[in-house]
Amino acid sequence: MSAFWYYVFTLVFFLFDYFILAMGLNIQYGETGILNFAYIGFVAIGSYVTGVTSLPNSVGTGQQYILGWGLPFPINLLLGGLASSALAVLVAFIALRRLRTDYLAVVLISLSLVLYDVINNYVPLFNGADGLYNVPEPLAGFFKLTTNSFIPFFAAVSGVVALIMWWVMHRITNAPLGRTLRAIRDDVEVSSALGKGVFRYQLTSMIIGAFYAGVGGGLIIQFGGSFNPTAWLPGETFVIFAVIIVGGVGNNVGLLVGALLVETLLIHLPAFLPAIPGHPGLIEYIDTMVVGVLLMVMLWFRPQGVVPERIRRSPISLVKRPASAIIDVAAPTEPVVAPVGNPAIQELP
Amino acid sequence: MTDTPSPTTSDERDEFALSCHDLKKSFQGVMAVSGATFEVPRGMITALIGPNGAGKTTVVNILSGMMRSDSGRMMVDSTDVTNWESYKIARLGLMRTFQLSRELGGLTVLENLLVAPQHQSGESLFNIFFRPGRTKREELANAQRALEILNTYGLYELRDSRARELSGGQKKLLEIARGIMAAPKILLLDEPMAGVNPALIDRIGGYILDLKAQGMTILMVEHNLNVVEKICDHVIVLAEGRTLATGRLSDLRANAEVVQAYLGEVISAGPAH
Ligand SMILES: Nc1ncnc2c1ncn2[C@@H]1O[C@H](COP(=O)(O)OP(=O)(O)OP(=O)(O)O)[C@@H](O)[C@H]1O
Ligand SMILES: [Mg+2]
Repeated sequence: MSAFWYYVFTLVFFLFDYFILAMGLNIQYGETGILNFAYIGFVAIGSYVTGVTSLPNSVGTGQQYILGWGLPFPINLLLGGLASSALAVLVAFIALRRLRTDYLAVVLISLSLVLYDVINNYVPLFNGADGLYNVPEPLAGFFKLTTNSFIPFFAAVSGVVALIMWWVMHRITNAPLGRTLRAIRDDVEVSSALGKGVFRYQLTSMIIGAFYAGVGGGLIIQFGGSFNPTAWLPGETFVIFAVIIVGGVGNNVGLLVGALLVETLLIHLPAFLPAIPGHPGLIEYIDTMVVGVLLMVMLWFRPQGVVPERIRRSPISLVKRPASAIIDVAAPTEPVVAPVGNPAIQELP
Repeated sequence: MTDTPSPTTSDERDEFALSCHDLKKSFQGVMAVSGATFEVPRGMITALIGPNGAGKTTVVNILSGMMRSDSGRMMVDSTDVTNWESYKIARLGLMRTFQLSRELGGLTVLENLLVAPQHQSGESLFNIFFRPGRTKREELANAQRALEILNTYGLYELRDSRARELSGGQKKLLEIARGIMAAPKILLLDEPMAGVNPALIDRIGGYILDLKAQGMTILMVEHNLNVVEKICDHVIVLAEGRTLATGRLSDLRANAEVVQAYLGEVISAGPAH
């Protein structure tokens, strides 16, 4: 396979993967209003756990890590997602129970920094700063894949996973559950006054979103075979925020567009451009700046994103107007109480 | 008048849908509520009146659980709900509206109503994927009822508009409609007619009378005494955070304290009777 196709399939893989990551952050932020600034931490946990459940026992690998169960795909991927969800439960009980949104964001940033430092420095967990490598290529033995054919194969697998996860998310966001999450996003206090146990819903949203983060992270380590702390610098969270804000918060299709524009075209494509002579790495820096500027421009001029949240219309089967008395806002009915003057109190009997 | 209430007997409890005793609340040392004590009779329309800053909204916030009182007790039916979280009080059948409308802006008008029913099947992940039939049936029944309510409140044509695009008066109507959708037993309305045109005031008055006819208990904060006179059965006067008096409006007019605190010049300027 030529280098060209290798690049193309890599881009395709990351497009699908960031679509999954964006869906997870979107249900938390776009649907529920939780500013999860620790999101990349959930991606990392999913990635590491997928790795250590897929790798064999660490003895003799030259790496240090926990578990080492040697489980096949997609069981290890599922475990990655679940591990990330478990972390979400912990974080929700620490941070969500009491804190208001703005404090929550700060607490989450701190948590992600703590997580980063622990994983980076505590080697027995996930091999510290070196991270995990030589993670077996999933299904490669089963389908007799070569190193070359694995890349397009796994890009396709990630497409299938993304499709399934899109369908699940579509069902959730269009169900009454999704509507209640959006109510909480729009006004926490009002939702509570309407009888919604807000914490329960925020917890649900965190768990679902973290599962998506974990699976997205798991796919990354399965695709590349390695994962280490340089892959999840805390700032990465903002790239995923950029994806959902550019694409359109609260719109699952918009997220795919956002992943294409931000992740594929801005982040990954320029990495394949020839370096500017005499300035190695300059392109990546320009890249980061472009994403930042794009984010500001979008927030300023088109906060609803390229594909805005759509209006969920009334069920077609019910569009027939109810038969009861028809009243129009424009046409007032008969006065029920006497017309009121201004300020009217002098007219008291 | 009722400055010193006696302990309620069980008979009296049945008579009242909502009651509070000696509620107090201060904000950074400023007493907003300093001893509110009153009962809201079941199945009636009760007005909560008082001058600006008397603490009416704060009392409504406390009763609906959105704010915690510093001290005092409150009951919904015969349940002591002191310090309960608002969603638990709501589940006992108490809904409220806001003085400054708080619509769920990103949702459509219809969705604002559809959020309100308690314990919907489709709010559980399990039901969404494993009981889709039941979820769908319930959703359609709710939508049917919501559209009927919107029709009654003259918002049917706006059902698919985002709530934030509504006019001030329409938002007031939407808040009441959203409350009704939850099928409450008690409805707290914080100035439902403030800032709306006279024709709409009449319509809202009519809706409130209809709700009473359906057996609902209503407590409404209202400045317009003409409206109070026409539709309210019972009045509670709040001044400087305290219950000053309760009774019928006609009785209160005879009360010198009330006249001084609130009705003041307005009454004396009015026609003799
Ligand atoms: N969240 C708050 N923080 C600080 N002070 C508050 C707060 N809410 C109310 N207050 C103060 O408490 C007092 C009572 O306010 P409240 O809104 O309950 O009065 P109100 O009777 O509803 O008045 P209005 O007729 O103007 O609506 C006022 O002095 C107000 O400034
Ligand atoms: Mg008020």
